[in-house]
Amino acid sequence: MNVLTLQMRVKNEEGALLRVLSMTRRRRFDLVRLNADSSADGRFLDVRMTVQAERSGPAFVRQIEKLVDVDQVEVVKSAEADGGARAC
Amino acid sequence: MKGAQFVVKALEREGVEFIFGYPGGAIMPVYDALLDSPIKHILVRHEQAAALAADGYARATGKVGVCMATSGPGATNLVTGIANAYMDSVPLVAITGQVATPLMGTDAFQEVDIFGITLPVVKHSFLVDDAADLPRTTREAFRIAQSGRPGPVLIDLPKDVANAEGDFQFYGEEASSAPEPDQESIARAAQLLQNAHRPVIYAGGGIGLAGALNEFRSFVESTRIPVISTLKGIGAIPTKHPLFLGMMGMHGTKPANHAVQACDLLICIGARFDDRATGKLAGFASGARVIHMDADASEIGKLRHADAPLVGDLKKTLGALTTTSLDGDAWRHQCLSWKEAHAWNYDAPAPGIYAPWFLKRLAQRAPENAIVACDVGQHQMWVAQHFDFARPEQHLSSGGLGTMGFGLPAAIGAQLAHPNATVINVSGDGSIMMNLQELATLRRYDLPVKIVLFDNRALGMVRQWQELFHAQRYSEVDLSDNPDFSRVAESMGIPAFRVESKAHIEDAIDRLLATPGPVLAHVVIDQMANVWPIVGPGKTNSEMMDAALQASPREARP
Repeated sequence: MNVLTLQMRVKNEEGALLRVLSMTRRRRFDLVRLNADSSADGRFLDVRMTVQAERSGPAFVRQIEKLVDVDQVEVVKSAEADGGARAC
Repeated sequence: MKGAQFVVKALEREGVEFIFGYPGGAIMPVYDALLDSPIKHILVRHEQAAALAADGYARATGKVGVCMATSGPGATNLVTGIANAYMDSVPLVAITGQVATPLMGTDAFQEVDIFGITLPVVKHSFLVDDAADLPRTTREAFRIAQSGRPGPVLIDLPKDVANAEGDFQFYGEEASSAPEPDQESIARAAQLLQNAHRPVIYAGGGIGLAGALNEFRSFVESTRIPVISTLKGIGAIPTKHPLFLGMMGMHGTKPANHAVQACDLLICIGARFDDRATGKLAGFASGARVIHMDADASEIGKLRHADAPLVGDLKKTLGALTTTSLDGDAWRHQCLSWKEAHAWNYDAPAPGIYAPWFLKRLAQRAPENAIVACDVGQHQMWVAQHFDFARPEQHLSSGGLGTMGFGLPAAIGAQLAHPNATVINVSGDGSIMMNLQELATLRRYDLPVKIVLFDNRALGMVRQWQELFHAQRYSEVDLSDNPDFSRVAESMGIPAFRVESKAHIEDAIDRLLATPGPVLAHVVIDQMANVWPIVGPGKTNSEMMDAALQASPREARP
């Protein structure tokens, strides 16, 4: 099981966070943890998200990167786990 | 100026010639503005056909197709067409009316969250809740639809925003540029090419989408590497080219599947290792290193590791790799031997019509620049196998989504784009019924689309799978109560005729091509005819079944 924690800067546009979550679910990643804060000027959301899946992490990161509303993505933690609770 | 008037002006500025659509309450301000525009609106008879016709227009031209519908059911009817464009990376802008912003979220009449519904099947989408955003939104929609890997973009336009007055100014140009291929990966790919003994080019639809046909063909001619293609890659080099071995995969040719399975270097260009192309992935070209070129970084390594990943503009990447001829005579000879040994056999002794032969003869007699828009099913695979194409934009086929009902609307879009071209819609008796109402659109605009309707009175591909993989337990595939298609067509003002004997194939093709305006040829074929070869579910491309191994009860094809 691959466990990834991503730090993202996402444009605070209509549906932006939905797009990230929709892509996460569609690519068969399970959401473990999510935190989103509006930037000081309100133009962005700073999102920290932990996900897990059997699938390849780098391919998922590239799929998130190509969303038009996603400005930056950084993998802050990447690990393999034995399973763990499946959220969502 | 009203918001709706600005939207129409913005479309004019983007070079839009046609909008495929259907009016209704929430989109009425845009329809009102269209009355004062040179843009020609094509009124279809169902919104799904609007999206699919815009898709066909885009595929045939490389330009952005535009479709439009009202809120609620108008918008939801577009969804299949939007998903179709998404799966095949077709540049499309879909404009939907929406209830006025004060009513949004109140379950108002014809209110639906089309923005939310389409999230998984758009490249991007906009809900315009402030008229001041219209200039940026319209420009961005077209830029995003066309840039990098193309795709559909939705603009959801509430009625009060469309009616809002404003001093709108066109949004400035924002150039999009594809990333340059990484030089280290180029060097790595060049080294793999030089060291390969059995290289194969795996050509996908991305080549045509990138406008990289010339660069691709130069690469093939300079390296002399044999080429196989995906369904959407057909035409990347002419199908008659000596180095072209055919389509690969589930209904691929034997030479193509033999070559890909035996190769030691797979050069994947603008393709995505789709399951219909690879068969069982673990056994796909298992002895090969991989060079993967694509505009979309997220495709690299998604399903198959790339030894040399080349992300970026295919034109530049191919240009950087075009070298002098590689040493590969023995391998080329092997591939060409397979091609000769497994040439198609059209010797069907039965008196009925063998659809592949009909298509082969049609290909030989139609103009070389004819455009074929397929529906989905057995006939779609027969077109891919047996028709000849010089360029990818001549072959319009729903590859990723496999949308039955695609063909007729796509042909309408292509015919409008190329009014002097011969446009042929090859359909089946299942598919044609999905968008049959568009015969009325053909008549309305007098579009000379030639329809070849193969009628086996069944959902042929499903029936074939039930025969081969479900112990001949046929479930809900019988269409023996089909209407009389000739009479249906004639009732909509389309001349039609029926042909059921192979002795009449030549006359039928004569009549089809010589009839001015639209015409439908109702071609009756054997219900038990199958598409061969076939790679069964869970099998590798080495494990092709053929008629000789699994003969249908009534099929006499050797």
